[in-house]
Amino acid sequence: MESAVKQGVNGGVRHGTGDEGKTQAGAGFSAGILRLLVVAMTLVAALVMATASETQMVSIVVAPTLPPLPVPVTAKATYSSAFVYFIVANAIAFAYSACSLAVVVLKRGSRRGSILPISILDAVMVGLLFSGNGAAAAFGVLGRYGNSHVGWTKVCNVFGRFCEQATASIVVSLIASVNLLALVILSMVGLHRRSSA
Amino acid sequence: MASTETSTTSTTNDFSGGKPAPESGYVVPSRPPPNLFFLDFGLRLLLFAAAVSALVVMVTSKQTKLIPIIVAPSLQSFVVRDAKFQYSPAFIYLVAALSVTCLYSIITMLVSLFAIASPSPSPRMLFLLILFDTLMAGVMASATGNAGSVAYIGLKGNSHVNWNKICNVYGKFCRHVGSSAAVSLVASIVLVLLVVLSSYSLYRRCR
Repeated sequence: MESAVKQGVNGGVRHGTGDEGKTQAGAGFSAGILRLLVVAMTLVAALVMATASETQMVSIVVAPTLPPLPVPVTAKATYSSAFVYFIVANAIAFAYSACSLAVVVLKRGSRRGSILPISILDAVMVGLLFSGNGAAAAFGVLGRYGNSHVGWTKVCNVFGRFCEQATASIVVSLIASVNLLALVILSMVGLHRRSSA
Repeated sequence: MASTETSTTSTTNDFSGGKPAPESGYVVPSRPPPNLFFLDFGLRLLLFAAAVSALVVMVTSKQTKLIPIIVAPSLQSFVVRDAKFQYSPAFIYLVAALSVTCLYSIITMLVSLFAIASPSPSPRMLFLLILFDTLMAGVMASATGNAGSVAYIGLKGNSHVNWNKICNVYGKFCRHVGSSAAVSLVASIVLVLLVVLSSYSLYRRCR
């Protein structure tokens, strides 16, 4: 994208000043860094969430007269449909952003680049990633605090490590989606500069 | 007013519906960039309608039921329990996001009308619209995911952590919450479409 934007400004019909070209290249470079961050963060978020699994011994009182019976209970991300959706959304965002990074790097020499299809898909990915984050965060809040009105008890006092992993994964994915939002805005800044200058 | 508006919207729609490859805008640079603000206004109207209906449906979802509880084997009693959206932080978040989207859609509808009236809308306004549309799309998508997730647990329950479903008890509440989440999904899709439309319009403007 960096060179595509540069080509559009300097190699196109209009000849921009050197300063303008430098800022465009800087914007392209930071967009590339942001995209790389999105690739890494969505991968990390999906992997951390998918590998989060914890088994705890929970004492269950079978009868008042018997001693409590320890039963192994496992918490996994696949037990919750919200976390499954979160993993799938992050995997899709990872695959897309890796492909788009490759496209952006490979199509550096083209005239106008592929700003429009990439920013449209970026906007779609913003929606997908944010909804996955919201779903997982709602489930996480329920797990951490419970909901006394409908009798859903909290589970994070039992599965501490699982909850921490899930929280970390959600936070990383949230940063990734904010980065993706910044990418959309950054490419629009480029388009705006070219259209109004 | 309404009939002309819809006809113009449909023609604009036809124009961008047969949207050629983005290169064609570059091949024919002499053609002036089309004013897509009729379509923009229509989408914002749809966004407003969706946000208002989802908000109203969510706010009116309160349901009170008599729940039978067995106090003793021979004695059955009833307690009055109600289900409200205020009981779940996810639904409060959705209501807040929907209210903000309502207000935002009203303001941007005025902006869009202003852009229809002016002969050549400035790219700066398009850029600001894209900026806030993207932010709102993020907020609405996360709120929809939030409410949808809680509503799904309410519908199906989760046996692994022993969260019982509540939709067999609170039928009306569940229908309201589910419809509200579905309509909010429409609102977030409309917001993403608005981002796409505005960025296409901005793209057509740049040489």
